[in-house]
Amino acid sequence: MSLIARGLEAAGIPTALVSVLPPLSSAARPPRQVIRRLNIGATVGRPHDVQGQRETLTRMIDLIEGADGHGAVDKDAKPDG
Amino acid sequence: MSDAAGLEAWRPDYESWADYAKPLFPQGKAKEAFGKYPWYQTATDPFVKLDKPIGEARFGLVTTGGYSIDGEQEPMRGYPSFGDEVPQIRRIPVDVDRSKLVINHPGYDHQYAKEDINANLPFDRLGELVADGTIGSIATETIVLMGLQPNVAPLIEETIPEIVAAFKADDVDAALLVPS
Repeated sequence: MSLIARGLEAAGIPTALVSVLPPLSSAARPPRQVIRRLNIGATVGRPHDVQGQRETLTRMIDLIEGADGHGAVDKDAKPDG
Repeated sequence: MSDAAGLEAWRPDYESWADYAKPLFPQGKAKEAFGKYPWYQTATDPFVKLDKPIGEARFGLVTTGGYSIDGEQEPMRGYPSFGDEVPQIRRIPVDVDRSKLVINHPGYDHQYAKEDINANLPFDRLGELVADGTIGSIATETIVLMGLQPNVAPLIEETIPEIVAAFKADDVDAALLVPS
């Protein structure tokens, strides 16, 4: 998916990727990614977690709006404890 | 270096890796296999800024969730794809009859999407972001692929240009990418 992001970006379309597997997504160097502590298959958010799903999308949109250069990352904080 | 030359240089490393990795996937050791994967790199890192306000921008959605429309589209195939077959896409209209959506991707737990499709195909959330003015609009069709396509040559040479053309034809300004 990171390569698709790169291809779109090279064609003039800015992108943001959400990743739950940052070792894999980061290796292919996506232009912008939001790294979330979620599961494969629920990469936008848990089922019926409207706020969590919306948060993922708005963070992706914010990164498209605000990132200044390639490799921008917005990463979930580690849980307390 | 052009993509063609870069991919030519990358191919021997990829083929060695594929010989190593193929037996590992059926054993559920994809993660171990990708630890040695030769990631394809280009000389420069593409980056463009959005040239209009977010509230006026049209957003396209790309997912590797492996969806197709039952009875209207061929099921997606090709997982994982090590050979030269071109990764397929399906175009899913945002107003699709969701009861006809099927997931052809064997590599992730479908339960989340069965409970709430917005977990990995966030049509409702994007619709709300349009309705409240956060974003301008969403593309008429979402682009669907299968994940796990380690031979990136046909992806780069054929599939990605097809995605770009689809988005350009629909005046998409920015793209949101959701893997599964």
